[in-house]
Amino acid sequence: MKIVFQLANPLIMPLCLLVLLAGCGATTTIDQYRPSEQPMVIAEGERIVLLGRRDAADYETDLAYIDCVSKIVQAAGIDVLDEQAFIDAIYPWFEPRTAPKGLVHLRQLLQQPQIRQQIDRQALRYLVWLDGSTESQDTSGSISCAVGPGVGGCFGFAKWDKLSTYEAVIWDLHSLQEQGRLRVDSEGSSYLIGAVAPIPLLTPVKSDACNGMGNQLSSFFSTP
Amino acid sequence: MVKNTLISINSLRKLGSLIALLSVLAGCSASTSIQLDTNFPQVLAQPRPISAAIVFEESFSNYSAAPNQYTSMAIGNAQVELFKNAFTGLFDPVEFVGAAQEIQGQPSLIIRPSVREVQLSTPSENYLNVFEVWVKYNLEIRTADGEVLTTWFMPTYGKTPESSMASKSAAIEKATITAIRDAGAKLHLDFYQIPALKNWLAQHPEQHKQVADKAPGGVN
Repeated sequence: MKIVFQLANPLIMPLCLLVLLAGCGATTTIDQYRPSEQPMVIAEGERIVLLGRRDAADYETDLAYIDCVSKIVQAAGIDVLDEQAFIDAIYPWFEPRTAPKGLVHLRQLLQQPQIRQQIDRQALRYLVWLDGSTESQDTSGSISCAVGPGVGGCFGFAKWDKLSTYEAVIWDLHSLQEQGRLRVDSEGSSYLIGAVAPIPLLTPVKSDACNGMGNQLSSFFSTP
Repeated sequence: MVKNTLISINSLRKLGSLIALLSVLAGCSASTSIQLDTNFPQVLAQPRPISAAIVFEESFSNYSAAPNQYTSMAIGNAQVELFKNAFTGLFDPVEFVGAAQEIQGQPSLIIRPSVREVQLSTPSENYLNVFEVWVKYNLEIRTADGEVLTTWFMPTYGKTPESSMASKSAAIEKATITAIRDAGAKLHLDFYQIPALKNWLAQHPEQHKQVADKAPGGVN
């Protein structure tokens, strides 16, 4: 019995850590719709722009997420125009109040010669709308910290779930048609263990949603 | 000599402690003050051949809002710049003056914007993870002979997520910039749809050469 304990003892801590870390993985689901299996061709010198939807009442598609997806798409060799640079260049037609919600509105907008010219000047081929947010859901457990003269520490256990839901819609600015939709759901639990020092075990839910979106979006396009 | 040196070191220590304490207390203060001097983009629109003068009175160009007792927002410079850009995309020619007496040309319309109210809503008040700012403008529109066509109420809105901002003041500043930019969007969508102005333009075709029922962007 003593021998078994001695063999198992060094394994206990790494095993516990592995079990905990396994609980920190996010589950990511990607759904996509494309009217055609053919890749979307981006010719030499053409660019795409990723824009966040900001017309919902209770959330905004945050800049950090758009920036993260942009970096992944750029790393795949696709030229991405900066979101704010595009919104400024076409002001005031892509502000939250004026941005086209659908293709009918986009077609009306591009009938204006000065707007069409600006799109052409920017060499924009595809416009990708990103819409969604990351929300904290169920929270359980409690942790308390105390500090005294010369001593201090945190004790307890807290757990919370996070859910990231983002959708991308791709508009072709030449044919003025929708070329695809992509939805990413990523969820996972994070933990905070108070064992004198607080030990956070955070699940990268948003980061996984960004990687899933960025990689899948990149696979839609083909560059020369 | 030694005593004097010790006194001065003690004084410096006390002064240092006082400064540290004041810094901590300043950090704990809930007051927020923002000064907007942002540059706004030029509008992408074809102006109508209607002459106008825009009067930015001192109360508008130096406007500072206090939506609550802890917050002050100096938005005068920013809103003047935005309105200059926006009106340049609506009228041609357009003249900007500080008082009605300074108007040089013979404009068909004289417009005097003013701020009616600024409202601020923080996550602790709206139970959402966003800062919201409303800037409510009045636009007094007169004809060249002084007749007031209308005083148009133009509310604008901006919001920004709390999570993407480093501090409360940065979040309020971003929401305010969004609200002021919204004024440009609102003007270009709705200005030529103001009933009193639309009727006046229809009755005075000599004041403009284009059809009155189509906004510059043509997307309404």
